[in-house]
Amino acid sequence: MTAVSGIEKVNGSTRAMYFQLDDSWRSARGKGVSVAVIDSGIDIGHPDLAGKVVDSVEARVDNKKVVFDPSDAGDSAGHGTACAGIISKIAPDSELHSIKVLGAGGLGDGMAFLAGLEWAIKQKYRVINLSLGTTKPQFFAPLHDLLDRAYQAGCIVVAAANNLPQPSFPSVFSSSLISVIKSEEKDPLNFGFHYGEVIELTAPGVNIRTAWPGGDYRSLTGNSFACPHIVGVIALLLEKHPDLTPFHVKSALHSIAMENQNRNGEIVR
Amino acid sequence: MPDQHEGELAEKIQRLIETIDIANILTEPLTKSIEEILRVTAEDLGSNEASVLVRDGDNGDLRFLSAVGQVAERLVGVLIPAGKGIAGFVLSSGQPIAVANADADASFYREVDKLTGYSTEMILATPLRHDGEVIGVLEYINRAGDPPYKPFSPDEMDRAARFADAIASLVRAYESAKLFRDMGQKIVGEGSEFDITEVREWLSHYRGGAEHREMMDLAVIVREIAGRGEAERSLCRSVLEALLTYTSDTINQTYLRY
Repeated sequence: MTAVSGIEKVNGSTRAMYFQLDDSWRSARGKGVSVAVIDSGIDIGHPDLAGKVVDSVEARVDNKKVVFDPSDAGDSAGHGTACAGIISKIAPDSELHSIKVLGAGGLGDGMAFLAGLEWAIKQKYRVINLSLGTTKPQFFAPLHDLLDRAYQAGCIVVAAANNLPQPSFPSVFSSSLISVIKSEEKDPLNFGFHYGEVIELTAPGVNIRTAWPGGDYRSLTGNSFACPHIVGVIALLLEKHPDLTPFHVKSALHSIAMENQNRNGEIVR
Repeated sequence: MPDQHEGELAEKIQRLIETIDIANILTEPLTKSIEEILRVTAEDLGSNEASVLVRDGDNGDLRFLSAVGQVAERLVGVLIPAGKGIAGFVLSSGQPIAVANADADASFYREVDKLTGYSTEMILATPLRHDGEVIGVLEYINRAGDPPYKPFSPDEMDRAARFADAIASLVRAYESAKLFRDMGQKIVGEGSEFDITEVREWLSHYRGGAEHREMMDLAVIVREIAGRGEAERSLCRSVLEALLTYTSDTINQTYLRY
């Protein structure tokens, strides 16, 4: 049982509250939770992912606008499959939705993944894995707007921090988003939360063995692979507590991480 | 070279001397420097092979510009289509990644391995960034020695990112020089049937001449003055323009006219 600080609305006014999160989520499988993977596509034929990818769409530019068509292109880069493999390992019954924005020729990087995020929010997918980002300042405001829309729609967006020493968007946004950076931890449930840091959550992201196109497996290192670990954990939480808002989820992650860090003997903030 | 083309060719080449010649002078040391940095940094990371891939066109294709290691010669010039493989991901995402073979018998980097006959077991790939744009990808392949290899660590990823910053500046300079060269080739080639090897031969002969060396010395002096500041640049221009006017009666043609 985890005590989670949160808020509740009573007669139109907001007040602080605490709620108890029972441990049932630890044995959950993410059943009934929709998870979008905005990435390079997913190899739906991989044995670890067979039957788990509900649908796949791909970005295409049509008359200077990005549109999404059903896609059977799979994943030519491997990154999306790797992320999906990690999510599926933690939450094997979650419903994966592949939104392919990388690898389509001629698409500007920021433009494509912004469109992918907008698409995911419109579909109201509960959790959105964004192991991508942009450092281009022109995308700061549109991404901020999209993240606020996601928050209002109850979509929980989880973004990977930039691996390079430079702020990237949206991972540096703090209010309406969950941002993750890699640690050398191996246990996906033993994640960390560092309140006040630019990137608050830490999760496994070093030498992670996961699915790779063609039925293969790879060991991967990068913040990209910390992000789907937290997405998987959120899918577990949402199966057992489907009414949690993005705010509650972040509070719950904070409380669970504090328990983890207490157990690990780390200094907790 | 056919006789009827000779006079025309010489005139065109004279007009393009600075373009093509400067480009050749620039590109060669740049590619050598890139190779040298690849060699030194690969050693620092305990890696066997290193390569630089650069954007080719606007569609996200990549081409090997430079490589060191046992299959380097087979890699240079090879094209990786947009979005393909680890390099394609790094180009489109702007993010570094370290990938290692999880199973000993799995084929890793199929297309490229098939081409080179080399067995890729692990890759550290990081973007080459210049002015906020990703212009290419820097890759380190495998470790020195025999497998099983120790995977690339987060610390090594950070080091590779710093190496990439240095290499990106050189790649950018190379691309600028190449732009000049390509432009020169295009103009010289326009309406003519000779190929660029004739231009190279002509230039090689020309560079050996005393006149050319004097011109290059003059160019170095002008660059030195211009590098000292706005006032010096302005004064240099005034002096040169005055000299140009003064000598205009005796000059039939100038290399500055195009």
